[in-house]
Amino acid sequence: MSDVAYIDGVAYPINKGESILTFLRRHKGGDHVPTLCDAANLEPFGSCRVCSVEVALKEDGPTKVMASCHTPVGKGQYIKAHTPRMERLRKNLVEMVLTTYDTEKLKTEDHGRNELYNVVKQIDFNIDGVRYPKGAMPLDFIGKEKSFALDRSHPYMVSDLSSCIHCFRCVRACDEVQGEMVLTMAGRGFNSFIAKGTAESFMDSDCVSCGACAQACPTSAITDVFMSKENVPDKVVRTVCTYCGVGCNLDVKVKDNTVVSITAPYDAEVNSGHTCLKGRYAFSFYNHPDRLRTPLIKRNGQFEEATWDEAYDYIVDRLADIRAKHGPNSIAGISSARCPNEENYLMQKFMRAVIGTNNIDCCARVCHSPTAAGMQRTYGTGAATNSIDDLQHTDAMLLIGANPTDAHPVTGAKIKQEAMKGKTLIVVDPRRIHLARYATYHLQLRPGTNVALLNMMMHYIVKEDLVDKDFIANRTEGWEEFTKELLALDVAKMEQVTGVDRNLVREAAMAYAKANAAMSFHGLGVTEHSQGTFAVMQIADLAMMTGNIGRRGVGVNPLRGQNNVQGAADMGAQPHQGAGYLDLTDGEVQRLYEDHYGVPLPAKPGFMIPDMFDAALDGRLKALWLMGEDVVQSDPNTQKVIRALESLDLLIAQDLFMSESAKYADVILPASSFLEKSGTFTNGERRVQRVQAAVEPLEGTKPDGQIIVDISERLAERLGLPEPFNNGAGAAPSIAKYQKHVKVDGGTRARTTYHPAWVLEEVSAVVPFFKGIRWEMLGENGKQWPVAADGTDTQILHKESFKRGKGKFYAPHWAETQEVLDHGKDYPYIITTNRELEHYNAGTMTRRTANSEIITEDLLMINPEDAARNGIADGDMVCVESPRGKVDIKARVTDEVKPGILSSTFHFPEIMLNIITSDIHDSEAKCPEYKVVSCRIRKARKGHLRKAGEVTEKV
Amino acid sequence: MSKNVTSLSGRDGKELTDPLWDRLQQAAKEQGGSPSDEQVTAIADDFLIGEAVAYGTTTFYDFLKRDNLGKKAYVCNGSTCLVAGTQGKVREELGKHFKPEEIGEMCCLGRCHENSAFHVDGHNYSGKSIGHVEDVVKKKDEQGAWRKADGQYHVGTSMAQPILTAPMPSLDEFYSLWERVLKSDGADLLNEVKLSKLRGRGGAGFPMGIKLEAVRNAQDTTGNGTPRKYIVCNGDEGDPAAYSDRYLLEQRPHLVLLGMMITGFTVGADTGVLYIRAEYPEAVENVKKAIAEIEAKGWIGDNIMGSGFSYRFKVIMAAGAYICGEETALLNSIEGKRGEVRTRPPYPAEKGLFNRPTAVNNVESLACIPWIIQHGGAAYAALGSAETAGSKLLSLDSSFNRPGIYEVECGTPLRQVIDELGQGLNKKVKAMHIGGPLGGIVPMHKIDELTIDFETFKKEGFMLGHASILCIPEDFPMIDYLQHLFEFTAEESCGKCYPCRIGSKRGEELIHGARKQDQKIDRQLFNDLLETMEISSLCALGGGLPLGINNALQYFSHELDGNFKS
Repeated sequence: MSDVAYIDGVAYPINKGESILTFLRRHKGGDHVPTLCDAANLEPFGSCRVCSVEVALKEDGPTKVMASCHTPVGKGQYIKAHTPRMERLRKNLVEMVLTTYDTEKLKTEDHGRNELYNVVKQIDFNIDGVRYPKGAMPLDFIGKEKSFALDRSHPYMVSDLSSCIHCFRCVRACDEVQGEMVLTMAGRGFNSFIAKGTAESFMDSDCVSCGACAQACPTSAITDVFMSKENVPDKVVRTVCTYCGVGCNLDVKVKDNTVVSITAPYDAEVNSGHTCLKGRYAFSFYNHPDRLRTPLIKRNGQFEEATWDEAYDYIVDRLADIRAKHGPNSIAGISSARCPNEENYLMQKFMRAVIGTNNIDCCARVCHSPTAAGMQRTYGTGAATNSIDDLQHTDAMLLIGANPTDAHPVTGAKIKQEAMKGKTLIVVDPRRIHLARYATYHLQLRPGTNVALLNMMMHYIVKEDLVDKDFIANRTEGWEEFTKELLALDVAKMEQVTGVDRNLVREAAMAYAKANAAMSFHGLGVTEHSQGTFAVMQIADLAMMTGNIGRRGVGVNPLRGQNNVQGAADMGAQPHQGAGYLDLTDGEVQRLYEDHYGVPLPAKPGFMIPDMFDAALDGRLKALWLMGEDVVQSDPNTQKVIRALESLDLLIAQDLFMSESAKYADVILPASSFLEKSGTFTNGERRVQRVQAAVEPLEGTKPDGQIIVDISERLAERLGLPEPFNNGAGAAPSIAKYQKHVKVDGGTRARTTYHPAWVLEEVSAVVPFFKGIRWEMLGENGKQWPVAADGTDTQILHKESFKRGKGKFYAPHWAETQEVLDHGKDYPYIITTNRELEHYNAGTMTRRTANSEIITEDLLMINPEDAARNGIADGDMVCVESPRGKVDIKARVTDEVKPGILSSTFHFPEIMLNIITSDIHDSEAKCPEYKVVSCRIRKARKGHLRKAGEVTEKV
Repeated sequence: MSKNVTSLSGRDGKELTDPLWDRLQQAAKEQGGSPSDEQVTAIADDFLIGEAVAYGTTTFYDFLKRDNLGKKAYVCNGSTCLVAGTQGKVREELGKHFKPEEIGEMCCLGRCHENSAFHVDGHNYSGKSIGHVEDVVKKKDEQGAWRKADGQYHVGTSMAQPILTAPMPSLDEFYSLWERVLKSDGADLLNEVKLSKLRGRGGAGFPMGIKLEAVRNAQDTTGNGTPRKYIVCNGDEGDPAAYSDRYLLEQRPHLVLLGMMITGFTVGADTGVLYIRAEYPEAVENVKKAIAEIEAKGWIGDNIMGSGFSYRFKVIMAAGAYICGEETALLNSIEGKRGEVRTRPPYPAEKGLFNRPTAVNNVESLACIPWIIQHGGAAYAALGSAETAGSKLLSLDSSFNRPGIYEVECGTPLRQVIDELGQGLNKKVKAMHIGGPLGGIVPMHKIDELTIDFETFKKEGFMLGHASILCIPEDFPMIDYLQHLFEFTAEESCGKCYPCRIGSKRGEELIHGARKQDQKIDRQLFNDLLETMEISSLCALGGGLPLGINNALQYFSHELDGNFKS
């Protein structure tokens, strides 16, 4: 029998360590005790005292008044929250608060959302019943110091401190949730006030606009321009963010079929009430005037508006014609990691089962393909082994080539929280990224030397005998050969090529190896290299040799770039594996897929994205369908990409906007954004979560899924193939519900309405780890694959054994990239690409939001020494020239990069940084090497600045 | 309480070698009273905290905030100087040498025995020195008679063998106890402290043995470098009218230091931190001198006298915030944060300074420890009253014929203190405010009911507290005094909890309205205000103020009733 405490004389079981408030709420409901300073995702603070209760140690014994939020419940306590004394106390406290608040204003403020008003009502206090004579107000005392009490300086954040009730929730949220500490209480006592930075405006402060403060504020003292708390929507739709692989849950507020604001649900397992400015505020792209609203067909070099039927007919005609003339392998598709699983599944199915080619790839190719390849080779599964929540259980974090505070902000904030509290953090990055400041060790290596540095780390771990012998003996193979290689490492040479002191590497390696539980995280700074796959394998080796696999707080955790990179690959949007990563060159697998789709399938792996460009240039590829992928802006070596697109007979661009790539298209299909459609995204921890349409598709647009279904059905009909969604063993049992039939020559054909429910039925029939995934059963927080038939999901992979049986050690040798070997002499600088918090990849979406008022352009980070040597000052335009071309970028002189190293972003088409990046790629997975580009620099000549994206040299 | 700031400001062993707090103070000094925004940003960057955090800290403290820029002289605005009515003259005299904007205020310099207290350039002055402001400013005649007489007060006792006021033996003789301690068992030492029944002398009266036992049993779970525990000496004697800790720190620093060393040895702490008010510059100076003396003797440091035990001291000078006398606010202050009161649990014994196990004790409590270890806990327990063992220091203000610091055995009648030690009063007094601003207001007819101990004070509805005695003259209106108490609390409230932050301000306004604008006070409202503060405040500041107010309402109703609606 568990311990009990008593509420109004009745016994209830207590949980160890819980507060009286939690105890009361657990048993008597969330409203049992009113509170003002308490908030769901913050630590107890004890400022408002409204939650006070009377506590006695025996029945009818003498009572003490205690704040229930920060007092632990004790065995045998007699707790009463609603005695006359406590009711009086609450009224007296709230009366005091109202003496500092404009009660007339309070009456007009939205009552559902102003928590002060709610508490006033809950305790039945007469808002006009304040007995105190009018006295001083807190803001009366703010001196001449800059106060910015009424602050509308920022595109998103707003403050009006006259509504502040001094609950500190904003200050705590900025500290405990985001970890940015931009807010503080300033002054002392009655005349204290909330200040940003050193009493600045939001815009001038270091605010990262995450909105945690606005969501935490119980009144409107801090809010946002969307009035997220105050507006009254028609409905709130829970969905998943499209901006990165973290997979934050969002509550989208909709009024009159328009998104009015977004907040983060507190019960979301992924983000517990937090998200970043992209997820929370950068949604206005979705109904931006730039959205494509009708299909366009290029005739005589001009785009002309067309109906959907015209566009479909055009596409079907052209595809059928090209397929007939050049064969199925002259057609390719690039699917989108921003689209849901269902749409990716449908796209690859279209290519394989309707066109009859394996020429399907997605942008995972240009980001995390080496992760999938490398982890599959070592473990058998190309996905994160653990969950982000494991951060709470880990002792050491190894962060390699990832900058999560910008690119995965919620995970970044969680890592920062752990690091700030003293957990070991090892950062391996050429840049002194934000988290490097909080790191125990920052190994600031030269770009392109990950493999060398990881070998050094493993060398020292073996040498210091810090390996997990049992794990190695029982769970792995290849250890002997592996250690031989490692011990033979030329440490002096590796130290020289990486530029990192060997002792520092040794210490960091030992810290990782000695931790009881160590987690690694990696990003594109690992994968986007010519040795990307090898580096991933080394990270996997590191985890195995130290036994950091298969339990809480450990593992290898790739930080997935786009929201559904994991899912796009899971669904088979890659040329060598079908849905569920099954090897389609394996005859048995081939039969399984043919059975599933009910048609014969091609067995030869298709083109990866870089192959597609080569094939287009040499005439083997004639048609390309781009689903939401702007290859011109985001793929390397822009000019080559453009020439490839120009070489095609047919380019279909399906997008939200007239992207740089769409300009080269023959036909453009206006698609719908994530806010307008449903499906599932799989986040970086294999969590399949529901994306739910918040609003109807913008008039004239269609969800990508519907477009693919429509074209699949029409082309299949033209080619004389069976109805693609009624055919084969995999056809969804419920498909009939979504179909109507239209008359065609010789009978009727099904016309299917896209819905994730039936697509998931199809997927679960073929993807082994989706077996138990059903649309209706995913719930609010989704499920982490593999999901068994009974719906049981999986937080930690490889607990007992690896997918491939034994984990396989492999020690690659470091090799200098061909880029530097070929061009290093003439182009002595290395530029490495990165991301800014405010923008998402090519910026197609974020540039069409107020985020572009915060970060307005791409900048070139350059070390002060290099700047001085080249006569470059902060803000000067710099001409950066690589063997592929030149761009002019504004300099930001900073020691975040070492001498010889430059860094910039490619968020803005005005710069088109990818003009200079190279198409050298990972030897195994063909991921381009965005991270190591040889270049030279000079101060740009005034008056000779290249215009946006202007190409001056043809290669 | 920001865990992040605690962790970051204590990172890399910097916690006390180059602490955030010292950096901010240093910057304030360089800048002439308050750090610049640029300094705040640079210091915050060094500690990886938000600049807002460092900014928030500087705005909290009287001697770091922007208003302090350019202040050259400070007038004491403590309660005893107020009721003595000396400060008008002080302002006037200082005004002859300083511009109005160069004159600030300090809350109680501990010169309550002679008043007219002021502070210029790191030094305190009082009494007749106000007649020598020119000498003070020009640093003239510093060996003169006026300078020598400045601040002199009587120290006396009614005990045959005093504990805290006895003449000091030589250092060698005194610290011979330390050698003995280093060879003893911490458990035995703890046992002696428990046997002594010593209760905390800061006012709360918590048994010291129990506190030390909790710290001794606690583990440092921070994982931050070497595991460590702290002994913190609370030298933030902020109660106006109290100056007994000042006496100990200035005149008997070795009692305090050895007390901290023994306590450290007892619980396994290797660091003693003294947090001393900025209003006591001489205390800071004398303590630092005393530490240098024992350092030179090799009685502190690493592996002291081959014992394997190491101990070091750190002196932190506060920056003007009464609330930092509250132990958790004090810990926040040492960490370089705003002096806001922390919620408990966790208690400092488990997670205190920089989240490590910490014993926070008052100066006087620590000063008793050498005697207890020397003579045994039983000997100490044999002294005193039923529930209050040992002796107590009392601070007598200038209303006494012989003001000063007196040590009495607990249980000594208050009447005896007044008549025999203080040699009676030099003016007509209607009440004594005993135990600081949060203590009780004792009307003269209740004096004979009280003895110097926790229990009789509690029984009669008062509080011994830190045992300072401030006399409220017959002609000083009680309503003015009550307004002063509310004003003091409003000024010194950390601002974290609502009842204290808002209640103290509204209370001040109600009384002000009654005094100046003839707005009679709604008695029910006033009672509600007092009850709200008393039962729901986060700490003893808001929670303690109503005691004295209620005493006054009870015993001086004839004087106060006219301010209330009938």
